[in-house]
Amino acid sequence: MPTEADLIRSIDDDALSDWIVGQRWFASKARDVTIGLVEVLVLDEDPPLGLALVEARFAAGTHDLYQLLVGPGDLEAMTTPAPARALARLLTGEARVQGEHGVIAFHWSGEPLAAENVRLLGAEQSNTSIVIDESAVLKVFRRLEAGDNPELEMVRFLTSRGFENVPALRGWYALEGELLDATLGVAQELVSDGRDGWDMVLETLATDPERALDDLAELGEVIGRMHTVLGSDITDPDFSPDDPGEEGLALLTATIDEEIERVFLDLPADDEALAPIAGRGEEIRDRLQLMSHVVVGGKLIRHHGDLHLGQTLRTPDRWVVLDFEGEPARSLIDRRRKRSPLRDVAGMLRSFAYVATAASLLKGATVPENWEATARERFLNGYFTEVDAGLLPASEAGIRQLMAIFELEKAVYELRYELNNRPDWVPIPVAGIARLLQEPLT
Amino acid sequence: MNPPSASHWFETNPLWFKTAVFYEIHLRGFYDGNGDGSGDFRGLTEKLDYLQWLGIDVIWLLPMYASPLRDGGYDIADFYLVHPDYGTIDDVRAFIDAAHERGIRVIADLVMNHTSSDHSWFQESRSSPDNPKRSWYVWSDTYERYQDARIIFTDTETSNWTWDEEAGAYYWHRFFSHQPDLNYDEPAVHDAMLEVLRFWCDLGLDGFRLDAVPYLYEREGTNCENLGETHAFLKKVREAIDSEYPDKVLLAEANQWPEDVVEYFGDGDECHMAFHFPVMPRMFMSLRREEATPIYEILERTPDIPANCQWGLFLRNHDELTLEMVTDEERDYMYSEYAKDPRMKINVGIRRRLAPLLDNGRDEMELLHAILFSLPGSPVLYYGDEIAMGDNVYLGDRDGVRTPMQWTGDRNGGFSRADFAQLYAPPLMDPVYGFQAVNVEAQLRTPSSQLRWLRRFISLRKEHPVFGLGTYEPLAPSNTKIFAHIRRFEDDIALCVHNLARSAQAVELDLSAYEGRTPVEMFGRTAFPRVGELPYLLTLAPRGFFWFLLEDRDADGS
Repeated sequence: MPTEADLIRSIDDDALSDWIVGQRWFASKARDVTIGLVEVLVLDEDPPLGLALVEARFAAGTHDLYQLLVGPGDLEAMTTPAPARALARLLTGEARVQGEHGVIAFHWSGEPLAAENVRLLGAEQSNTSIVIDESAVLKVFRRLEAGDNPELEMVRFLTSRGFENVPALRGWYALEGELLDATLGVAQELVSDGRDGWDMVLETLATDPERALDDLAELGEVIGRMHTVLGSDITDPDFSPDDPGEEGLALLTATIDEEIERVFLDLPADDEALAPIAGRGEEIRDRLQLMSHVVVGGKLIRHHGDLHLGQTLRTPDRWVVLDFEGEPARSLIDRRRKRSPLRDVAGMLRSFAYVATAASLLKGATVPENWEATARERFLNGYFTEVDAGLLPASEAGIRQLMAIFELEKAVYELRYELNNRPDWVPIPVAGIARLLQEPLT
Repeated sequence: MNPPSASHWFETNPLWFKTAVFYEIHLRGFYDGNGDGSGDFRGLTEKLDYLQWLGIDVIWLLPMYASPLRDGGYDIADFYLVHPDYGTIDDVRAFIDAAHERGIRVIADLVMNHTSSDHSWFQESRSSPDNPKRSWYVWSDTYERYQDARIIFTDTETSNWTWDEEAGAYYWHRFFSHQPDLNYDEPAVHDAMLEVLRFWCDLGLDGFRLDAVPYLYEREGTNCENLGETHAFLKKVREAIDSEYPDKVLLAEANQWPEDVVEYFGDGDECHMAFHFPVMPRMFMSLRREEATPIYEILERTPDIPANCQWGLFLRNHDELTLEMVTDEERDYMYSEYAKDPRMKINVGIRRRLAPLLDNGRDEMELLHAILFSLPGSPVLYYGDEIAMGDNVYLGDRDGVRTPMQWTGDRNGGFSRADFAQLYAPPLMDPVYGFQAVNVEAQLRTPSSQLRWLRRFISLRKEHPVFGLGTYEPLAPSNTKIFAHIRRFEDDIALCVHNLARSAQAVELDLSAYEGRTPVEMFGRTAFPRVGELPYLLTLAPRGFFWFLLEDRDADGS
């Protein structure tokens, strides 16, 4: 008679293949993909829980690796509390499970939890989350990449330096293997009284736009402090601030320049929303070149990497910054790279443009005309009072231009995205690009 | 402290080298991090962002070991030390780590065939016939053994034997007389060399380019090249590396005909890669003659290789453009066309960089890169060629193609903060190729520059693994000025068409096997007319080329 462990291991290749390509979080839309099981590790037999490493191989010769938490005859175990509780207990109990291709090592820090009470959070796009004892939330990564996940690294770093505006790190588990070293899941303090920052600002805009501005000034201070902390340790090579290097800015500029060229190459000719920037690709590229000339100094540091209002929570007494995974479309190596902290700032500023338009598009709100400009100013004032000035370019003009370069990078990316996905939103990046063209250069 | 193993940065993929773009670096000439006039590991580490931006996957380092530098470091005096000009072992470790962090792997040259005469092994060996290391080198009472072995450095050496007063015997050397050959009939030499490989693997190197591998053994009555014993030893090396370290690559330098070079792949159990030397001069020949036949012929003559192996392909490298693997007639042709100044010749080759060889012709440089990138193999770029650097024919030996990398238009071309007189070699300063005209900084700023073009081209090639993994199917149209072929990997079908002529050309291609497919030009994503029943007609600009994906648009439903 097969044991529970045998049942966990008995995954049918065809069923697996059919199931996985139907999942929303399955990253590839490619037609030709071969799904293969690398290994199933039995994490627990009672209740039965297994961890499957699954490889998706593509015709072009590349592949992706996924983590599935499975039960006997069940490819998605995290739909009922029992296996979720088993996982939580492995985590809080700092278990180590030896597999054929490596070790799954669980780590827990801080107060012990009984892990009696678990709650599964609704289907997220790319990850599963488990709330443990209403105190911690464990995010289980589905797609795996070699190396420390930035979420783990960043939250661990910020927590250990006493930065209070992130949910503290509680634990994590990782694969340490010959195939690759990869973070499998990260547990953080549960922030139960927080509201999504984007929703909050969106609604406040409809009722009390002035109050939203105060909140954003405070958010500026928080981000400033966060960057100061992130750039404060010269002893940790993963976090120590770097000099930009002689070509640093030129490499960045050249990369954005290529992107602008590509986007303008594909720009539809007859879209009225594009009128403010139509035919101005060369002008934008010249502008970019000129902007890059005044930037000197500053540091490259680890930073959030995908900062916008939707990555924040507002609790009654503080802002909380979430999701340090970086832009999911970029490679892990790229997401771990140090860059100027102003890249985060630019991301947040672009988010103000979005929220202002969204308030009128989605809520029918009448947003005061200069709201975005004021929001930018208030946020930046807060930011500059708290950020370590040594991390920024030496002159005020340099700071402004570097920020503008990052905003341009972001807006060009948005433009491509909105053209492909949400034509109604195209005017937002268009306005952002047009505004950059009008700004004085020095 | 050990650096994190490569699995910390990369997922294990034993065939990673098959889709990689390599970049060869002369460390001394790349970037001077400590201001002493000579490039070093700290300097190179500072420039990793540039290399990551360029999009290369692997750095290949020329030898950086302790050496008297009488042969550019290929004369190694201690395998476990770095030449002090380049830094320390800790610098190397930090560099490898920083490269891995950026997704770049690192391989280094390793000379197995010989050491410097300064190496302590040789000093011991020559000291007495009773010394335990006596047998580590090849000694003889007469210079009449192995007379069938050719002399390689014909400009400097008259024999493969040199008399050593101290030893009272002749010693064997296939290269310079200050580079005695190790004796691979001595098992202790095997063990010693394997230890060297382990040391560098432990430090994080992702592989080795094995210099001068055909010459490890000597046997009477043979030309002492490519012997069976040599292959047996390389298999032994491969087995040791495979069992102890995942994901390493061994790249053989065997300047031989393809049918001999394929022996270095064994049955996929010897070297992972080997350079394809003979195709290189033929690309230049084809360009000059405006005639694709030499390229077709050498590829025709190239046997299939095991699926887990790959060719290394290059246009230029740190050595002379070698003409050993051409006929006498072809060699005369190459000399007359590409080495008009006799100073440009060295040994059996031409010591010039890519840009001067092509009279700085931008179209020609792009065309040769396109052909290189389209061929089955992994391209190896040579530092400086991405900005079309020139050479200095007045510097001795091959130093003329190893001048300082030109980073900016500032003093010393941005290569070093040292006094000009301190530099290991003067940077180029002539009006055409000098650092004020040709440098990274200026080309980064210029969207139409060669550098920016090459970056786009590298990224295009990397988007399509078919170029690393696919078949090679020549099309051989009747217009012999056109080099056209198909690369195919699973559903990915690439059609590459290159015009070698100085004039515009029309060509009819037999694409009947692909009837109904739509050629989509890969750079601009422009769809061309569908392939029909008739021969497919294309017109190409002078020295122009097209790369297409042959897409099955009906199957996509669009």
